[in-house]
Amino acid sequence: MPFSNPAGAHKLVVDAFYGNVTVKGYQGQDVVIEYTRGGSAGPNRGRRKPEEPPPPGMRRIGGNRDLEVTESANTVTVKNNILSAVSNVVIQTPADTSVTVKVISGRSIDIDNLSGEIEAHNMNGTVKITNASGAVVAHSMNGNVTASLNRVPADKMMSFSTFNGDIDVSLPADSKATFKMRADNGDIFSDFDVKLEGQSAPQIVEEKDNKGGIRRRVRRDGTQTGSINGGGPEMQFTTFDGRIVIHKKQAPAPTPAPAR
Amino acid sequence: MIATDNFLMARVGAGELSKLAVLFERHHRALFRYFVSMTRSRETAEDLVQDVFFRMLRYRASYDPERPFAAWMYQIARRASLDQAQKRGAEVVGIEGFLDRPVELVSPSPGPEERASRGQRLALLRRALDRLPEEKREILVLARFQGMKYEAIAEVLGCEAAAVKVRVYRAMRALEQIYFALEKEKAS
Amino acid sequence: MTCGQAKRLFADHWSQSLSADQEIALEAHLGGCDVCRPEADRLGALWSDLARLPAEEPGPGLRPRFYDLLRGARSQPASANKPQMSWRIAAGIALLAAGVPIGYALRPKDPELAQLREEVSSMRQLVALSLLQQQSASERLRGVSWAYRAEPSDSEVLRALLDRVNSDPNVNVRLAAVDALHAFGSSDAARKAVLGSLEKQDAPLVQVAIVDLLVDLHDRDAKPVLRRMARNVSTDAGVRQRVQWALEKLQ
Repeated sequence: MPFSNPAGAHKLVVDAFYGNVTVKGYQGQDVVIEYTRGGSAGPNRGRRKPEEPPPPGMRRIGGNRDLEVTESANTVTVKNNILSAVSNVVIQTPADTSVTVKVISGRSIDIDNLSGEIEAHNMNGTVKITNASGAVVAHSMNGNVTASLNRVPADKMMSFSTFNGDIDVSLPADSKATFKMRADNGDIFSDFDVKLEGQSAPQIVEEKDNKGGIRRRVRRDGTQTGSINGGGPEMQFTTFDGRIVIHKKQAPAPTPAPAR
Repeated sequence: MIATDNFLMARVGAGELSKLAVLFERHHRALFRYFVSMTRSRETAEDLVQDVFFRMLRYRASYDPERPFAAWMYQIARRASLDQAQKRGAEVVGIEGFLDRPVELVSPSPGPEERASRGQRLALLRRALDRLPEEKREILVLARFQGMKYEAIAEVLGCEAAAVKVRVYRAMRALEQIYFALEKEKAS
Repeated sequence: MTCGQAKRLFADHWSQSLSADQEIALEAHLGGCDVCRPEADRLGALWSDLARLPAEEPGPGLRPRFYDLLRGARSQPASANKPQMSWRIAAGIALLAAGVPIGYALRPKDPELAQLREEVSSMRQLVALSLLQQQSASERLRGVSWAYRAEPSDSEVLRALLDRVNSDPNVNVRLAAVDALHAFGSSDAARKAVLGSLEKQDAPLVQVAIVDLLVDLHDRDAKPVLRRMARNVSTDAGVRQRVQWALEKLQ
């Protein structure tokens, strides 16, 4: 699926998706989508059936009840619905695309090798981001959020959150950033030298858990703020039930982006 | 053709707001240095740089391209700094730590010994400058850090160039006094 | 040349802006003066040392802040961009319109201090409101952090924040917006709106954040809503636990 204006800023949106989503940045200009149906092995281009005409201003590729792909004003949108037989979609897009992925029911979101902004949301499943060079805003309601950043852009904010799940983020050891961290039921770990802004010690609160016992947790507005390497753009980490791990990335051997 | 500051600001006044970005790139570091020297707080200095560009945006219609841009900008800067100081009650937090901040040499210098002694001299000089009374410090900052000609400074301060030169001389004398006092303090 | 005259030339001498004649005359005086010569040398050394002081560099946040400001200004409609004019200019224009020629050099008088303060805070508002409307979630996050620095009485920013809490498509932005509302706690309108938002939220993380906010604001009016939530089986167990805690705290 080509963008209307390949030279302009482009965006990929995977919206309200049921199924696993993988997005990879690559050297080409178009968005390439492969998908598999539940249970079937290997990519399957699917049969096409006559569809209603696309809304004005939009083009559609193929036209497939199981997957809807449209392009409008340099944004490619990929959708399916709850009845869709598609269970996995693998999308390749130019590495500088800004990508938004929302999965309603799918085990995983995997996003790799993008320099555009990444927005990822998985209701029940993991979010895994690798080789990101742009801003990341990620959330999973029930699932871990893992991110490996190649750099921390100086002028962008990032945010990682889970309700039930761990957050694991790695950044280059010389990154400059300011962390805002909150783990209501869980610990925060880091191998960075984090300079904490001294404030009152987080309050420990006791409350009854649903088994009738007492459980202790750190009071929510014990948000910890700390900086590394002198401070920099703000990165927010929030979990309700899970732990937060922020660690130094090993210097990667330079890997060439997949050629096409 | 390289656009002059005057020309760019006139364009901003005419509605081409994006030209302000060029002025920002040209001047924000010098402005920052001015504010840091005056307020002795990096955070306040950053806020003030922002404030100055905001005011230049806001009052862009009042800029007269016949007048030098730098003079106008520094007039705005001084007013911004004054308003800031009034708002904060002229309180400077953490000034002691600021005054003792290390001086990193940027320019190359001969042997290591000379570098060390020059480093000490410069550190002392920086401390002396920070302890100068505000008006004296300002005139030296404008003349030495901003590299403004005395006529331009005169326009910023609203006085005659001859007065500026006298004030420069007096400021250097005061600086020297403080410098030697600090030197003696160190030696004892 | 007297010593007094010599000293008046020092500043120009240091900046090398004396004419050749003046230089010669000054040198002549200094050559014979035991007071001025040493002073000229000492002060001259300090003068050149001053230029060797390394310059402070601003932090990395300065540039993005400026570009936020510029973008905010450019996104305002042209009419809103007209700088405020003092009454003198306004009067002048009225007279012009009436056909009376006015001298060209009408400049705005220095505004009062209070007005200036208001303008700095309106800058924050401008930037915050502009960022909060951006397509990028990361930019909206920045908008929220600017909103946090706005005046507590700024109703436009408050409205924009509440808007984000209720309808931002991104959970993290909603979460950050709830946090920023701590700064607006003194507003009754804010408290009511936050309470109204609680039951409409679908993300448990945001629900928990709102419950905490209500506790911090000591909002006892929240109790009926909280009780309803506690009884509702579709509310997540972790959230219900927090709600119970909140109900106890709000006794």
